[in-house]
Amino acid sequence: MTKEQETELLDRFSLAVFLEAVRCLDENISTAREIDIAMRAGAGLPEGPLGRADRIGLERVLARLEGLQAQYGERFRPPERLRGLVAAGRTGVEAGRGFLDY
Amino acid sequence: MYVFKAAVLGAGTMGAEIAQVISLSGLPVVLKDVDEAQLERGMAHIRDIYARRAQRGRISEHDAEDRIALITPQVGFEGFSDVDLVIEAVPEKLSLKQAVLAEVEAQVSKTALLATNTSALPVTEVGAKLQKPQRLVGMHFFFPASVMKLVEVIAGSETDEEYVDSAVEFVESIRRIGVRVRECPGFLVNRILMAGLAEVFRAERDLGLQPREIDAAVAASRLAPMGPYALADALGLDIAEDVAQTLSAAYGERFDLGDRITRLLAEGKRGAKTGEGFYTYTG
Repeated sequence: MTKEQETELLDRFSLAVFLEAVRCLDENISTAREIDIAMRAGAGLPEGPLGRADRIGLERVLARLEGLQAQYGERFRPPERLRGLVAAGRTGVEAGRGFLDY
Repeated sequence: MYVFKAAVLGAGTMGAEIAQVISLSGLPVVLKDVDEAQLERGMAHIRDIYARRAQRGRISEHDAEDRIALITPQVGFEGFSDVDLVIEAVPEKLSLKQAVLAEVEAQVSKTALLATNTSALPVTEVGAKLQKPQRLVGMHFFFPASVMKLVEVIAGSETDEEYVDSAVEFVESIRRIGVRVRECPGFLVNRILMAGLAEVFRAERDLGLQPREIDAAVAASRLAPMGPYALADALGLDIAEDVAQTLSAAYGERFDLGDRITRLLAEGKRGAKTGEGFYTYTG
């Protein structure tokens, strides 16, 4: 597997997980904090999907999703909630706030 | 509401492990099954779990004996009048769960909390035959329950908030992590994880990759504890396919696994439990 393929594979996996987590948030299935706790305790992920996006920086996550949307279509469409957070300057850990508060 | 005594219905692997977890926290628990032989297998499994804990020095043999003595295996409803919480853990069949819960509802007090352990069935439907569906919650223990820390606590559309609170308190009292989840197909963890798995299957095809190299890359990236193919094998390919079909029907194509697993199932390969899935297992 080339380095480019590996990057694409890992981005697609982690962002598909992230997008589904945001949909659960949008549908009020649970809270951001509890979604991350559940994915760590129930699926053994080292990092919850929302906290991970906050750590990477939401503006970067948004840009990557736009790239994947252009390539693979609607299933990678960036969620409105993500655009709203970025527009409000809540871009994650570095900004002190994102999906979670820091 | 404080739980002084619990009951678990169904002494299969899941029911037995739930009873073990409850007993480990020091709480008396009735383990009921209609089949005497199944009860014996369930108790044997519980003794094995305690024996392994004792071997690893995590509990003394004396304490293990005391905890095992907190479990009362039985086929009937003796002593159910003072049970505060019933966890139904019979096989994942809607009509069976409905019948078992309706039957036990007549045996417990008016205020007892009822829970259904399910990874897939809608809690609201499971409770449809109850006199008082407000007191039914979903408690999704993860497999193996003796090890996994998470319990999804699911409120159906009829469930009263106070019973959800009691359920979360109980889950925490048995040293598990209780996360509140509103009812939806797949609940939380399986839904989110399966979205990732379906995307990996598409990437395998688009990029022309092999499962083994994908698993190696995912595991090395520390995105997940193991690669998605190894995970599907561990879960059981029949179960993974089942969950994915439920999710596709509910949410659409993003959960479509294609025929990747279907072809393996047609060859009788159902993952680690049958010795073959994406990988071959020996011993």
